[in-house]
Amino acid sequence: MYATLRIIAAAALAWAAALLLAQLLRAWAGGRKDYAQAAGSGGRGIVYNLTAAMSPAHKEAARNHPLGFGAGVILHAGVAVAVLEWLALIARPFAYPRILAITLTVVLALALAGSLFLLGNRILRSRMRALSSFDDYFSPAMTFAFLALAAAYAFGKITPPPFLVYGAVFFFYLPLGKLKHVLFCPVSRIDLGRRLGRRGTFPPAR
Amino acid sequence: MADVKTPAELEVAAEAARAALGRALRGLGAFHIDACVKCGLCGESCHIWRADPVPANLPGAKAAVVVRHFRRHHTVVGRLAPFLVGARALTPAAFDELVDAVYGRCTGCGRCGLNCSVGADIAALIRAGRIAAAAAGRVPPNIQVVVDNQLQTGNQMAVTAEELKQTSSWIAEDLKIELGAADVTIPVDEPGRRVLYLINPREVKFFPLSLMAAAGLFHAAGESWTLSSRFFDVTNYGLFAGDDAAAARITLQAMEEAARLGVAEVILSECGHGFRSFRWEGPNWLGRPYDLPIRSVLELLWEYIASGRVKVDPAKNAERVTLHDPCNLVRWGGVSEPQRRILRACCADFVEMTPNREQNFCCGGGGGMLSTSEYGERRIASGQTKAEQIRATGAKIVATPCHNCADQLLELNKKYKLGVEIMSVGELAYNALVK
Repeated sequence: MYATLRIIAAAALAWAAALLLAQLLRAWAGGRKDYAQAAGSGGRGIVYNLTAAMSPAHKEAARNHPLGFGAGVILHAGVAVAVLEWLALIARPFAYPRILAITLTVVLALALAGSLFLLGNRILRSRMRALSSFDDYFSPAMTFAFLALAAAYAFGKITPPPFLVYGAVFFFYLPLGKLKHVLFCPVSRIDLGRRLGRRGTFPPAR
Repeated sequence: MADVKTPAELEVAAEAARAALGRALRGLGAFHIDACVKCGLCGESCHIWRADPVPANLPGAKAAVVVRHFRRHHTVVGRLAPFLVGARALTPAAFDELVDAVYGRCTGCGRCGLNCSVGADIAALIRAGRIAAAAAGRVPPNIQVVVDNQLQTGNQMAVTAEELKQTSSWIAEDLKIELGAADVTIPVDEPGRRVLYLINPREVKFFPLSLMAAAGLFHAAGESWTLSSRFFDVTNYGLFAGDDAAAARITLQAMEEAARLGVAEVILSECGHGFRSFRWEGPNWLGRPYDLPIRSVLELLWEYIASGRVKVDPAKNAERVTLHDPCNLVRWGGVSEPQRRILRACCADFVEMTPNREQNFCCGGGGGMLSTSEYGERRIASGQTKAEQIRATGAKIVATPCHNCADQLLELNKKYKLGVEIMSVGELAYNALVK
């Protein structure tokens, strides 16, 4: 049975990767050549937009909303941990050494708190509700459950199958809703960074 | 564009808009659609939201108005399960909200994109909405009339060749007296000059001091330059309308004029969107690189001052001066330093407003908003952040290298009782000229 679940999980992973790649290629293929003579460096613009531009010192949204920014950083760190945990599980189930289990659980618990904060913010604030579609609630809820199962598994509270199966569902949904920003966020930063780098806006002159 | 009235005609227009939206957002725009997580943190970055913090003014919400139509018609999930991603059909009934969001609640200044949590280019999504609206003939009439003027007469204010020549002539006469030089001219249609100078038609109609200042500085530098009486307009309202075909035609007529006159370089007067249009978007609208270099007059002026071709005395501008950065020149155009260097050289007390450069706030007059009387109240209200920035500097003069910004700042000056004078960078440089 475990072998079957691993195959299902691997298939979900392949599905997510294939769909994201297809969407990326479709978007890329429609990209326009920039005929304007460059005044700056597209490469430097990309590097800036993927690094310093994301820091509170350069990004007003991060600076003005430290709680939201912090919750987002912690949430994404937790998701990265949960995904790695799930990928490791596809390869081979194993019990984590106690210190690692505690570390993972702490990171995932913080991520769960971050996830709850952001989801609560979306539910409770009228401006956020006005902005949201079904997927804007569904995707964070799915992420919350994924983090919770990852934490429970790391701490030895559940067996591998539930985490493995839920992870497959999570990855099956990933390329369909807003979770796909995992790919399109960096790609957008590369696109805008390149454009503004060529124009000499990025990196900023000051 | 003709009025669209019957249901069948409305449907044809909607179909044209749907197709245009698909073309506009297929490709790189799609990255930005799928990057936005609707975190809602973009509000404070937007001057319109800051003035009126209702959900419809959130940059993410404005973009969502465009994106939901793209998703409904151009994505698999949006077609099969529209409720999931909030996809909605772009029907004739949906246009009012689309037009209000993309022309009436956004100037396309792009500040939200720079401060976006995920780095989505929200302004690009808004412009895609304008492209869709333009395809359906739903550009606000006061923007459309400017585009039509540009296409039909060669400039946005339908200034005639005779008017331009007469204005140039009396400005040259005044300059002769001011500079004490009998050989001052404002050349028009002179072939073989080094520079073709494109100006804003407002400089002919309402702001002759801008043209006078540039002409005086060109004379002082010994520049070989000319205006064109056929196509002299630096503006391009195709950018604001979302009409790329018109924008390409406007670009082409100026570049063909430059080729006809045999100039070596095209220099653009102080105009934010004109610079962005000609320098950065134009080659892409035409689908080919230019044969000639294009620069802002600010870059040329700084070259004159830095090389000593033009000598200036900052004591001649003794009052405190601050600088408003036009979004299309600075954020979208990459020209942020020449104007600062010029002002430091030409003014005794130059102070920055905060924030500045690529993080500047839009004055509220951009994106064609200045022309749309139906959004006038919103425009003036949205300038509140800029007014506060100006007041905080304690400046007596606000320099801005853009006529749209200057017009808006003049109105903000009255409304918010700022007690400042609005000038172009060139006018301050001309004031400082050692004659």
